[in-house]
Amino acid sequence: MKLGESIRISWRAITGHKLRSGLTTLGVIIGVGAVIVFMVLGGGFEENLVEDFREDEAPVMQVVTQTEPEGGFGIRFVDAPIYTERDVERLSGLEGVDYVAPDGSISAAQLRYGDGQSAGGSVGTFSITATNPEAFQGDAWEIVQGSAFSSEDEAVVNEALVTLLGGDVGVGDEITVRFEDGREPTFTVSGVVDDETGGFTAPNIYVPVDPYYTLTIVGPDGTEQRAYGTLTVAAGSVTELEAVQDRVQAYFDEESDARQLTEDNQEIVVRTTEDFVDQVTDIIDQFALFLGGIAAISLVVGSIGIANIMIVSVTERTREIGIMKAVGARKRDIVQLFLVESVILGVIGAALGVVVGLGAGYLGVTYFGWPMAYPIKWILIAVAVGLGVGILSGLYPAWRAARVDPIEALRRE
Amino acid sequence: MSQSPPQPVVAARDLRRTYHLGEPVHALDGVSLELPKGSFTAVMGPSGSGKSTLMNLLGCLDTADEGTVEIRGQPVASLSDGERARIRGTEIGFIFQTFNLMPRLTAAENVALPLVFTNPEGVDRRERAERLLSRVGLGDRLDHAPSELSGGQRQRVAIARALANEPALVLADEPTGNLDTETGAEIMDIFAELNAAGRTILMVTHERHIAEHAERIVHLVDGETERVEQLDSAGRKDGSEGSTAAGTGAES
Repeated sequence: MKLGESIRISWRAITGHKLRSGLTTLGVIIGVGAVIVFMVLGGGFEENLVEDFREDEAPVMQVVTQTEPEGGFGIRFVDAPIYTERDVERLSGLEGVDYVAPDGSISAAQLRYGDGQSAGGSVGTFSITATNPEAFQGDAWEIVQGSAFSSEDEAVVNEALVTLLGGDVGVGDEITVRFEDGREPTFTVSGVVDDETGGFTAPNIYVPVDPYYTLTIVGPDGTEQRAYGTLTVAAGSVTELEAVQDRVQAYFDEESDARQLTEDNQEIVVRTTEDFVDQVTDIIDQFALFLGGIAAISLVVGSIGIANIMIVSVTERTREIGIMKAVGARKRDIVQLFLVESVILGVIGAALGVVVGLGAGYLGVTYFGWPMAYPIKWILIAVAVGLGVGILSGLYPAWRAARVDPIEALRRE
Repeated sequence: MSQSPPQPVVAARDLRRTYHLGEPVHALDGVSLELPKGSFTAVMGPSGSGKSTLMNLLGCLDTADEGTVEIRGQPVASLSDGERARIRGTEIGFIFQTFNLMPRLTAAENVALPLVFTNPEGVDRRERAERLLSRVGLGDRLDHAPSELSGGQRQRVAIARALANEPALVLADEPTGNLDTETGAEIMDIFAELNAAGRTILMVTHERHIAEHAERIVHLVDGETERVEQLDSAGRKDGSEGSTAAGTGAES
């Protein structure tokens, strides 16, 4: 029996019960649709994020310490002060390195500004980062107002801090910070920086390392010196970025102080923004996959629905099966007919599910303002799954149909 | 061509078929039957006499416990399930009491159904279905669903379907059982025409006046051949007599 013939006959059977066939495919539509929605949302979020990063692509890399926790999953970042002043100086001398900005956090208790208003505690948390004026040279951190600090009396605040303080602080205003060690310096705001990198940035004040950053350790050479938790290294240009990244990594792997200060299970990693984006998209992918996997459970329900309706249909059509056998249908012809029918149901369900999923996904990304993503891979997988669901759920009913005894079947009224 | 007697289309020897329903029931207990080419045979007998069992065996729907069935000289007992299905499609044309048309297919599609499964080379299915339906007087009902046809028309469609693959044998099981007398007579007229055109027919019935359209009647009782009755042209009904009988039937 030719495939075209069985498609024609099966299609007749499907359209003979429109409501029933529609409800049967609904299970598959919902399953495939839900998977596609999550993939569209995940893809849209990802593209949105990547676009943000692309916009402010800068030849900047971060030096961080990470560890794989024992008996745990994933990677954890360690904020241990192991990057010494000497490391900073020697890194600055590496070929292609434009500047090195240390990133040392200072514990602060309170912030006063304007007419004695204060922040901290009830207003919200903020943090203080000690760094070099060079940190504001790159494209990554864009000074939107004023300039970088040039003396120890000046500080740069980020936009998030301005928002935190209700917009009351601008260039030229004075803020007084109370450090946890009791010092209470007053700074004149020299500039406001947009340090947003792909979304969420906490309110922050950037102050000069000297004299505020006081955390010191004893380096491997026996001298006491400042040490930082992370470093930001900038290359001269984007084209040099990769080469500089290799050089910086090599420095840390071979001759740095930090190397000798890491513990056994810790690792120094030099990450560019792109590495970071890769990491984040990996996480989003896995999350979308996880949600999609949950959605796929409804596919199982859908395939049970098809199997169920096919079994009913075999019972109902026992007589027709008998007729077909009497006029020359072999077992494999009968199997083919019923398999084609359930595959048509599965594939139609998957195709409509893709349409529904793309539609709902489009509404979703439009609502969030993300770009639309077309998860081609998942659309192909959905259609393949529709095929698979059709075959799997049709196998047993088809086998039952093939076993129908034509004599018994034809005797039925 | 040959001097030897022509090979019968179907030859059944010493058929036995026993059903085990609690105690064994001998549905057929040693029946032999030869159907020469172009013959028209009726099988009569009370219910339970083995008529249906004989028909299932000759139609390759069932296999005998003992004895042999040969169709055009080929023994069917050794064939596989699929090969028997193929023989049903190509060598046997079934006609049933309840018509047994596919409800969702049109008349023409029903007629072409055996061709769909046996898929012979170089046959235009539509064209053949049209020709066969015209031959049984339904040339204007090609695309009607069975539910849009009367009982007699449905049986005509079934007859056309039985002829679709030019079968060696037409097997009819109470072909007029669900029809009124007049329509039944019309159907028997078609059988007579087919037989006159050389078609080999075996018909199971329990009605004497229907059986009398055949050239001989095999009487079955309790799974055995009681007697074989040859009907000479005087005792045999032709189409016009059938119509007469239908007339009286309609009056009563």
